[in-house]
Amino acid sequence: MIKHHPKLELLESYVAGELPASVSVMIAAHLEMCPKCKQQITELTVKVADNCFDKDAFAFDESEIQFDFDAFIDDVTEDTSIDELVEPEPQEVKVADTPYCLPQVLCNLERSSWMNLGKLSRSRIELEDGDLRMSLLHIDAEGSVPNHTHNGFEITLLVDGSFEDEMGTYSRGDFIWLDGKNTHTPFTKEGCLCLTVSSDSLHFTQGLSKLLNPIGKFIY
Amino acid sequence: MSTTKQSQTMPAEVDGKMLSSWLISVAQERDRRAFANLFKWFSPKIIGFGRKQFNNPVMANELLQETMTNVWRKAHLYNVEKGAATTWIYTVMRNISFDMLRKIQSNQEDTISEEIWPIAEAQNSDDHMFADHLMDKQLAQYLNKLPENQKQVVHGVYFQELSQEQLSKQLNIPLGTVKSRLRLALTKLKQHIGADYD
Repeated sequence: MIKHHPKLELLESYVAGELPASVSVMIAAHLEMCPKCKQQITELTVKVADNCFDKDAFAFDESEIQFDFDAFIDDVTEDTSIDELVEPEPQEVKVADTPYCLPQVLCNLERSSWMNLGKLSRSRIELEDGDLRMSLLHIDAEGSVPNHTHNGFEITLLVDGSFEDEMGTYSRGDFIWLDGKNTHTPFTKEGCLCLTVSSDSLHFTQGLSKLLNPIGKFIY
Repeated sequence: MSTTKQSQTMPAEVDGKMLSSWLISVAQERDRRAFANLFKWFSPKIIGFGRKQFNNPVMANELLQETMTNVWRKAHLYNVEKGAATTWIYTVMRNISFDMLRKIQSNQEDTISEEIWPIAEAQNSDDHMFADHLMDKQLAQYLNKLPENQKQVVHGVYFQELSQEQLSKQLNIPLGTVKSRLRLALTKLKQHIGADYD
């Protein structure tokens, strides 16, 4: 069962279209798996839409609009064809010999080929979004990421499988937001596929694993 | 026909029901007057939103044009059972605004909003399943109303997947009778369904 959800403020910003693209993609992927948040989004959208179209919401002097309404209406309605809906094809990826079905929101986004490092594999999602980078991260069974913290923030959506860290156990659909305040050592028994967005590299904290800080960049 | 005239026919008091009915007329009848009415009601609101969003009247006009063009072209994706016309048109506008902002901020020409907020959610597989499920339930009701001997044949062929020959042996009736009972039953079912789905 999904225990970790995006905070309400995050859902509100998602509905208002105020989040960066990659964070919005993460939320959309979570919604595909979480009927509870999906329901909440439906309600929030009604609310935001009502506020937005309230007659005093963005009042201004309408007489200063410079726009030929009639010509535009004629232009648009002249073409009576419709935009057909294209259903995205479900996409499967195979990592470490395990097939996974990707969230639908990723279907039309390009992905780089997998880079491997021990039990970790990473494929970058090609979505230009400022400092934010989005990746699919696979940790093979019995694999872990050494104890680390985050220079910026890191969002993880568990697409499949499970993992655990000092704070608990996570399962499919969990949406986990971590930042510099959190230090953790994710470990997976059965293997897992995550979608991640981070704003900066990971920072390894302990002893010899500090030598791994280049890996932090690899994962980011 | 002048559209100015068309839009002037708009009633003074517009409520949600009216907005929805206009949107449905646009979808089902490609009704230009209904579109003009929607345009008249939404345009100052969309421009107001756009001016705040972009702080630029030219871009606010662009938002209006893109939004209303999409409303015209995608109206068939609106599902009145799923919510108000205002909610649906808001999502259309929000998506366009998102892509426009992304173009300014990251110089990206993509239309990622279509992925992030699948606009046709109302039509996605969950819904088909729901509709199919309802349809199944209704079919089962009609099936129950059939005379016993016809019901038997439909069950045999469609639920136990027996061949008509097997069924004729099992029920110990001639093959021709199986065929005619099946035909009668299907005709009746089609009438029922047609009556509700036409």
